[in-house]
Amino acid sequence: MTRYARLPVALAVLFATAALAIIAVPGQAQEDSGSESGSQDVFRVGWSQDPKTLNPFVGVNEEEFTIWAINWELLVGFDPEDLTPAPAIAESWDVSEDGKTVTFHLIEDAKWSDGEPITSEDVKWSLETLGEEGLLFAGYTAGVESIKTPDDHTVILTSEEPNARLIGDLFVYVLPEHIWGKVPVDELTGGYQPEVPLVGSGPYIVTEFERSRILKMTPNPEWRGEQPAFDELQFIRYGSADAVERALTLGEVDFIPEVQPATFDRLGEQEGIEVVNAPTYSFTELAFNLCSEENCPDAQFNPAIQDQTMRQAIAYSIDRERNNEIANLGTSFVAHGILPSFYKDFYEVPELDYPYDPELANQMLDDAGWELNADGIREKDGVVASFDLFVRSEAPAEIQYAKLIAEQTEEIGVEFNLQVVSTDKLTELTVRKEDGLPAPEFDTFIWGWGGDPYDPSALLDLVTTSQIGASSDSFYSNPEYDQLMEEQVTLVGEEKLEERKELIKEMVAMVQEDLPYLVLSYDPYLEAYNEDALGNVERLCPAETGEILCQQVSYEPLLTLTPGEGSSGAETVSGVPGGVVAIGALIIAIVAFLVGRARGRRETEPMELPT
Amino acid sequence: MNTRWLIGKVGAAALTLVFVLIFNFFLFRAIGDPTEQLVRLPQSTPEEIAELRAEYGLDKPLLSQFADYVGDTFTGELGISQRTREPVWDEIKRAIPWTLLLVGVGTLIATILGAWMGVKAATKRGTRTDDGLLSFNLFTYAAPEYWIGIILILVFAVAIPIFPAGQQVTPGVEFSSWFAEAADVLDHLVLPVTAMTFLLLGQYFLIMRSSMVEVLTEDFVTVKRATGLPWNRVVSKHAVPNALLPLVTIAAIQFGAVAGGAVTIEALFSWPGLGELSYDAIGDKDFPILQGTFLVFSFAVIFANLIADCLYFALDPRVQAK
Repeated sequence: MTRYARLPVALAVLFATAALAIIAVPGQAQEDSGSESGSQDVFRVGWSQDPKTLNPFVGVNEEEFTIWAINWELLVGFDPEDLTPAPAIAESWDVSEDGKTVTFHLIEDAKWSDGEPITSEDVKWSLETLGEEGLLFAGYTAGVESIKTPDDHTVILTSEEPNARLIGDLFVYVLPEHIWGKVPVDELTGGYQPEVPLVGSGPYIVTEFERSRILKMTPNPEWRGEQPAFDELQFIRYGSADAVERALTLGEVDFIPEVQPATFDRLGEQEGIEVVNAPTYSFTELAFNLCSEENCPDAQFNPAIQDQTMRQAIAYSIDRERNNEIANLGTSFVAHGILPSFYKDFYEVPELDYPYDPELANQMLDDAGWELNADGIREKDGVVASFDLFVRSEAPAEIQYAKLIAEQTEEIGVEFNLQVVSTDKLTELTVRKEDGLPAPEFDTFIWGWGGDPYDPSALLDLVTTSQIGASSDSFYSNPEYDQLMEEQVTLVGEEKLEERKELIKEMVAMVQEDLPYLVLSYDPYLEAYNEDALGNVERLCPAETGEILCQQVSYEPLLTLTPGEGSSGAETVSGVPGGVVAIGALIIAIVAFLVGRARGRRETEPMELPT
Repeated sequence: MNTRWLIGKVGAAALTLVFVLIFNFFLFRAIGDPTEQLVRLPQSTPEEIAELRAEYGLDKPLLSQFADYVGDTFTGELGISQRTREPVWDEIKRAIPWTLLLVGVGTLIATILGAWMGVKAATKRGTRTDDGLLSFNLFTYAAPEYWIGIILILVFAVAIPIFPAGQQVTPGVEFSSWFAEAADVLDHLVLPVTAMTFLLLGQYFLIMRSSMVEVLTEDFVTVKRATGLPWNRVVSKHAVPNALLPLVTIAAIQFGAVAGGAVTIEALFSWPGLGELSYDAIGDKDFPILQGTFLVFSFAVIFANLIADCLYFALDPRVQAK
């Protein structure tokens, strides 16, 4: 017998086991289709970040909001059509004559998912506790003077001044007091992990949460509205954004709430996959350090940045359209003012919008006496128009954008020196204090902010004087603007909406003129889904221009979406995966081959000597 | 085993561990105050930040923070994760078995394959077999593991979808038995373990090959051959056991280091081990977790070194003689 006589035997074993593997694969696939478990319809969402906690007192991430917004409701929700205030826990509300008292009428027979009734006590406890202690919820109840609960289904809020935010911006989830109220507050704000199933009032409740892996939600048995079409929602967490997108193309998930800008177009070109981009309530801005001597005696910056003409010229020299195409790959939306187009009720393109016009910019600087020096940079009274531009190393698109700005302002003799720093470092530069007073250390930076679903107050508030030392990072101070800010919020109710809009329009115009921020772009939602897996897909929040899931705003889409023709059912796996069988076969074949060869050699080979 | 020798080794290991403990603490304090990032929250007030700092003990002087840290570490209290508010040790405990599985299986396969190929190459030195094995192993040695991982995913999960691209079990399914679940885990293990094997293989092969080449030139091999023993037996019974020594110790030492070095592979394949835990913690600036995983990694390396020393002591009579 020669040494290779055993090879055919080994090959035969390999083929036999491979054949076995092929038989095993379809066997498993049948079970995958879930035909046995019947009509279980599962909606699978893939993401690369998942909730770190279900406790709203300490959670700070968007993914957490996404889940909370399905599990719980606000006192007043948002209409998915136009995002205006809509019934949620409260069925209706009346505003008193003077606008200082709002009476909310709760839905009478509403129940928590554990069967307990939803009462005004739940609302009061949530507003008082979550609204005071919740990291992201504190502040919304700031204007509230008293919360009264004359009966189980009535909540009366009073405030010192009329306050529109009490209706459209009371962004505090109503939690079941009979569960959360039993936990001491310091535990709620500490290590408390709520029990699953997470008792809620929304259409689905969390029934399983394995962090970094999977979160499952099933229909709330006490849900009062129309029954949702899915038997289960699964939020599956993958290790990277690439892995999530791969999972979508492989059909492992039906929907991705957050697609990467770099792959957005490519994903959309794939067959069977649809992509959606919609503006959000967040923007990215170029911020200028406008802190006055009085507010920040120790601030460090180039004084030229506080020259309004300089800022306006810079604004004219930046080509926002082109930069959005390059830096954001066209996935963001070119900004027109501080209020994103998402705020349908309040958005309007401001008159002063700084279209790209470098000639005008040059002219303005010439007229203002800024002359080119020997280096080709403008100078006036010994001050050189050379600024630091800080960007965060974590935000590659913003770095790209900053480079384009530096290129474009070169045309008007203004120099921007790019400083790429960590988020922490930039935070430090903007919030640092000396002797208790803000002492920011920057000329300009690029960063972003996000607001609330309906009411624009949170974003408008970023440039008020009262936020200096807190959220303000432009340190802009304009008493007129502050006055308008206070006034607009007192215009409560629909009949005063037009008046409120006018004031807000004025505020936006002021920001445009004084430019504490040049808002560059409105950040998008980038979503993708498998056409086959979802039916009845609609763009909502707001209608037509919005996105598919109304992330963090409304659970409504989950009630109208239906499983598509190709949607997958719940699976029970009992077979051995084909890949494992194949590997097993390969190993057996190799071992058989080696054993065969070794035996053959031992029997017949002459002694072999190395040369 | 010599007790004095052992005590010396353990003492050195303990000292290293103490140094790591100190270094670990100051490293993360030097990076910055973890509450700083929370300042950017639109609604956060200075009072809340102060409260948060107090909660984490960050308002105390550095030395007293250090004392707390050392005390807590020795009582097994590694702190509370900032993002999940769960005890750090719980999160680490969950991740350890997955890392051990991945690294263990990967090391085992890489050692066996590396040793086998090393012996083949050394006994056929200068032939085409040797050249082929050498180029193959140099290639896998030089190629970054994440690159190999991506190629594996593209080929075996996307182009020919026979293996899952990531995670440790199929998410969201029910299993009819533990056997089906184990098979599913095995299915998910194939690609990451392959990447892990490639990460280690080249190194082990090269060590085995050079050590084998050296042993084959030694006198005892010639003597054995002269006695008329078949060449195969000379190799398998006499040369290989001697040549294995460096490989075994390196593999043992590496085992500790690889536990931490699996970060890229774990992150790429969404494998829920210590590497992915650290990777996520970096993204979330979760310093307590990082501090915890660094401690575990350091411990793993120090412990593996100690084990390697002991192994060497047991296997090599020359060490005992000294």
